[in-house]
Amino acid sequence: MPDLAIFQRDFAEALMADGQSGPSFRSQAFAVYRNTSARGVVEALRASYPTIDMLLGDEAFTQVALEYRRDRPPAGPVLSDYGREFASFLGRQPWTCELPYVADVALLDWLWLESFLASDEAPVPNQFAGNARIALHPSARFAWLSTPAMTIWLAHRDPWSMAELEPDWVEEGALFARPGHSVRAELIDPPLHRMLTECIVPASVADVVTNVASAFPTADVPSLLRRGVASGALILT
Amino acid sequence: MTPTAGLSFKPVHYEQAMACPAAGLWFEVHAENYMVEGGPRLAMLETLRGQFPLSLHGVGLSLAGIDEPDRDHLGRFKRLVDRFEPFLVSEHLAWSRYDGTSFPDLLPFPRTSEALDVITRNIDITQSALGRQILIENPSLYMQLEGHEWAESLFLAELVKRTGCGLLIDVNNVFVSATNLGFNPLSYLDALPRGVIGEIHLAGHSPDPLLGRSLLIDSHDAPICDEVWQLYGWLLARCGTDRPPTLIERDDHIPEFDVLLAERDKAAAMMAGHREVVHA
Repeated sequence: MPDLAIFQRDFAEALMADGQSGPSFRSQAFAVYRNTSARGVVEALRASYPTIDMLLGDEAFTQVALEYRRDRPPAGPVLSDYGREFASFLGRQPWTCELPYVADVALLDWLWLESFLASDEAPVPNQFAGNARIALHPSARFAWLSTPAMTIWLAHRDPWSMAELEPDWVEEGALFARPGHSVRAELIDPPLHRMLTECIVPASVADVVTNVASAFPTADVPSLLRRGVASGALILT
Repeated sequence: MTPTAGLSFKPVHYEQAMACPAAGLWFEVHAENYMVEGGPRLAMLETLRGQFPLSLHGVGLSLAGIDEPDRDHLGRFKRLVDRFEPFLVSEHLAWSRYDGTSFPDLLPFPRTSEALDVITRNIDITQSALGRQILIENPSLYMQLEGHEWAESLFLAELVKRTGCGLLIDVNNVFVSATNLGFNPLSYLDALPRGVIGEIHLAGHSPDPLLGRSLLIDSHDAPICDEVWQLYGWLLARCGTDRPPTLIERDDHIPEFDVLLAERDKAAAMMAGHREVVHA
């Protein structure tokens, strides 16, 4: 093994070793590297998960972020790519049994980020197509959650509503889309969630309407369609 | 307008930046912060680029890493270069990736002939992929490492000779490394090859919380200190009439735009030869 590779292997191991490494890595000077690389990862995760940072507080977030880093260190240098599995990691932590919404809120932070950074290039509408089709905007992200995580997430984005936050313990749907420069976030109901799911693969409007109407016979499907388009999540092509 | 002194771009200063009439002003961003598909971040950079020259400063290619630069990352870098047509592209004499794990830092290595071959290969790959010259920045160093075969100035000179890259000399990094490792910063600067410095960085640093001023941290969170301004004046004088574009870097404790602009104006005045601002 070349000397440079041996040096980098030992240095990289010591960076991840929390001060348990060999004598040459015990200096305060080495600690600058260890602290900088750890802090860089923690702060990248904090920037991507601002609501989790608010829910847990600065100190607890740092602890959890360091545990996540041990489990899943960054694979690349683009920090906004980092943290994709943080929500499922949180869901596996024993302490989240008492805070079952935390993993769902983390998922919502990630979906917001994906929507924020998604491509601007929407499918081009084709008004001459005989069979109108419908597709998701590249920035559309949605989820169905077993906790009222979206109500909690929305409240943390709007400090005025925090004081009144007493969510009903029900399942919720969440939708994010960025038709222009800012991400719109909203609660959605099961029929709209079903409609969005039907559009993951671009489909004909007629098929989508039929499938949603048969799953939810009482739903006002045309109004759902209008709502999906108005949110920026659905595009008629 | 020829770019003179510039600022690292902070989105929080976007409106003041766009309205700033300073002659020769330009901006630099970390390339990795813009390696995204779309959205307001890229749109803002595009508007800025419409008005000012732009420099892309990479922090993640790990040129001193034992592995070749990641092809996917190079592809993303190339797309940014093609879209924003920067007048400068730079990276670091450092590594930040080993065996699939990335470290958000610029890590040191023994400057051996083996390392020289590896970095030469990696700069060649990068310049071919980007289709242009890059500048290589000297790092801030904190630790004495064993096994150096090359002085850093001479190592950089050899990279320039082998690859045709240029140099980005960070004067604060020279000062921080010289303090931490105990060498003379003027001797370091004087050993650099002439005519190949394509950019200069100036920034602030802070003392280590435990060791104080015997260990300086390249924190980019403070004003540029007098010693760094003096070294900058000395380096400009050595560059003669070929004065490289100079960047004021600030990444933490970001002050008002005007505070950064005042540091930038001081550098621009020094570049223009107003010697009265040099306290050397």
